[in-house]
Amino acid sequence: METFVQSLVSGVLTGSLYAMIGVGLTVVFGVMRIINLAHGDLVMLGMYGAFWSHVLWRIDPFVSLLLWVPLMFLGGMLIYRFLLRSIIPGGELNTLLYTAGLSLLIANLALFSWTGDYRTIKLPYAITPLRPFGIAVPIPLALAFVLAAAITLALYLFLARTDLGRAIRATSQNAEAAALMGIDIGRVAMVTFGLGSALAGAAGVLLGPSLYLYPTVGEILIAKCFVIVVLGGLGSVAGAIAGGILLGLVESLGAVYVSVAYKDTIGFVIFLLVLLFRPSGLFGVGKS
Amino acid sequence: MALLTVSDLTRDFGGLRAVDRFSFAVEPGEILGLIGPNGAGKTTVFNLITGFLRPTSGQIFLEGRSIVGLRPHAVIRRGIARTFQLVKPFPRLSVRENVTLAAFTHEPTRRRAEELAGQLLERMGLGDRLDAPAADLTLGAQKRLEVARALATRPRVLLLDEPMGGLNPREVDEASVLVKQIRADGVTVVLVEHVMKAIMRISDRVVVIHHGEKIADGPPDRVVQDPNVIAAYLGTRVA
Amino acid sequence: MRRAAAVAVVAVLMMAPPFLTSNQFLLHLAITVLLWTLLGVSWNLLGGFAGQVSFGHATFFGVGAYATMILYLRLGLAPWYGMALGGAAAVLVSLPIGLICFRLRGPYFSLSTLAVAEIVRLIALNWDALTNGPVGLLITALPPVRLGGRVLDWESKAPFYFIIAALAALAMLATWRLSRARLGAYLLAIREDEDAAESVGIDTVRAKVLTLALSAFFTGLAGGFYGLYFRYVDPDAVFPIALSVEMVFIAVVGGLATVIGPVIGAVFLTTLGELFRERFQVGHLIFYGLFMMLAIRYLPEGIWGGVRRVWAVKR
Repeated sequence: METFVQSLVSGVLTGSLYAMIGVGLTVVFGVMRIINLAHGDLVMLGMYGAFWSHVLWRIDPFVSLLLWVPLMFLGGMLIYRFLLRSIIPGGELNTLLYTAGLSLLIANLALFSWTGDYRTIKLPYAITPLRPFGIAVPIPLALAFVLAAAITLALYLFLARTDLGRAIRATSQNAEAAALMGIDIGRVAMVTFGLGSALAGAAGVLLGPSLYLYPTVGEILIAKCFVIVVLGGLGSVAGAIAGGILLGLVESLGAVYVSVAYKDTIGFVIFLLVLLFRPSGLFGVGKS
Repeated sequence: MALLTVSDLTRDFGGLRAVDRFSFAVEPGEILGLIGPNGAGKTTVFNLITGFLRPTSGQIFLEGRSIVGLRPHAVIRRGIARTFQLVKPFPRLSVRENVTLAAFTHEPTRRRAEELAGQLLERMGLGDRLDAPAADLTLGAQKRLEVARALATRPRVLLLDEPMGGLNPREVDEASVLVKQIRADGVTVVLVEHVMKAIMRISDRVVVIHHGEKIADGPPDRVVQDPNVIAAYLGTRVA
Repeated sequence: MRRAAAVAVVAVLMMAPPFLTSNQFLLHLAITVLLWTLLGVSWNLLGGFAGQVSFGHATFFGVGAYATMILYLRLGLAPWYGMALGGAAAVLVSLPIGLICFRLRGPYFSLSTLAVAEIVRLIALNWDALTNGPVGLLITALPPVRLGGRVLDWESKAPFYFIIAALAALAMLATWRLSRARLGAYLLAIREDEDAAESVGIDTVRAKVLTLALSAFFTGLAGGFYGLYFRYVDPDAVFPIALSVEMVFIAVVGGLATVIGPVIGAVFLTTLGELFRERFQVGHLIFYGLFMMLAIRYLPEGIWGGVRRVWAVKR
């Protein structure tokens, strides 16, 4: 019983971070109908950002959020404005291939600059886990969860309550109608991509203390991200959150009750099943 | 015996019944008009007949043989061809290649297929643009290309899905003449159209569909006066 | 006549290197370039001609590699026959994969092939009894072969070079024949618009399945060759996402739906990458990423497409 609760808790904690990665990807898809294969590498950049600001300037990773999130937001907007904007009219497949190229470029530049050695972010307070009710909860993961929840709440309020947020939702539902209503969809697209990148970077910063860092980690992350986003429905924020937590749980429980080896397989099998039988996912808005 | 018979055709999309026990028959050599308000289910009927969708229930017979469950390419080879409401050319392929591909269904060699394609395109007035990419054509020309492509499969029945949409009045008249010529060549035509003038002029018979159900079936002038049809669709008057 | 002369020249050029140099590094580079040429040409059959962009072709490469290794190590089958059977194994595997993945279109198809490849990789990683898991399979030495009086002991790279050159040439020939056949024309139609293709009587499922089988066959052959040349395979070497992705890049940068395109892509990218790797060890895929982005932006028909356009203008 205790093992069950333990893996449940681990699953939800990790899942919340998966969720954040998924939300970033899905928001971009919702507005621009593009699948950004470089999304996982943006998470990687967040991870390394937290690492370097910790190693070079002694900034606690969770504090460094204040630095990296705005930077990645800006970076995302620049990527959209100067790279993606001219590619998108070429079609879904072309854009997919382009972001695949971008992904390889980012990951390999990182590999070249920082070598493939595994890094870790060592925090003094990470050594002893908290033990509420006898369940081991590593402090960095707990902090990450709380901050992820806070950021997601902030995102929700932004989308629901602000004009720009509403503009983003409108464009996501019907870009043409939104444009006719006077919404500058070019600007919305740019901001949304910045937002998606910021979320990716934030997820990376939060994940940093809990994972091994290596430049090609984006590959695995983007693969998991698809599972999440397709499961929850491309374009749906709630779906991505649900999907992320679900994946975290499946992996955690799967590792304990099925087999450690095949836990990753489960995710992909579910992914295939969803693609085949319910391509719109649990809450999806995108066409299949 | 009717050439094409559709019997109690039904198609559900989740909770929505798009086509509801829809039945009609097409006699050889007819031009049958299929009309109805937007969203009534006309294109869905075409998709069901040509195998792009499977019926939830019901039967479809071509010359007495059932074609339900056949994939689209097999339906085409049995002798039913179609055009699309929103034209679907092969954009980067040449005008000639677009039709040659279709001609392959019945012509064994490339040479013969290209010959047939050339002839059909000549008839459609596209003989001067054989090597142009299909994407470069005007909408009217692309529609004619799609008709040529469909005819290249030597169909018994040709389903035309709003062929006159987006055409100016002169082009509509030309298209009407073309449909009659196609019938004169021995192809039975079923025509979905919103341009009432054209439908009334060229159809031998008209079937009206509304919310997936048939609400009228008869000669154009009679259908036009049917109160159900007027109520559902036609509004005030017909030219 | 000119076409035949050009082909003859290319054939001679392809066969020349082992006679021109015995520098093992250069031969290794040439072998690597030809291996990637084979991979790019194979992928191009499905991805370029049929327009079905697979991100999971490593599946077939790995199946071919493992089949070859297992047949030799466990059953004692002569290795080069094993390579052919590796190709056949890849074809067998391609059938259920096609059944699953071809129900999807466009980017969804691509993602599904990625998922399948990952599942297969994970199976290979964990099914110790069959594959030895992460430890991998090792051939200590290939059995010597008698060839016309001489005995090949596989110490030098030259024989490997000729084999891979022959395989690449075979794949290119197959591509050329396909492009001239009715199936090739059908594939280009499917690439443009699958529904329209069905509506003109093209059996799109049959065309896609056939093409996938052909593509898988050659990719599997490449995997078998890889196993016999490097004599060691493990799941991360033959099933990684990176490998699938590189195949895509080579074909796209070189020029989709052409015979020469992937060859150019392979020569260009592989040479650049290998040279970079010699000097810097890591990050050689930077060029792949960079040139993919440049190609999509400025040369969507690839380098070969660009060359052909320039030639057409000059006429």
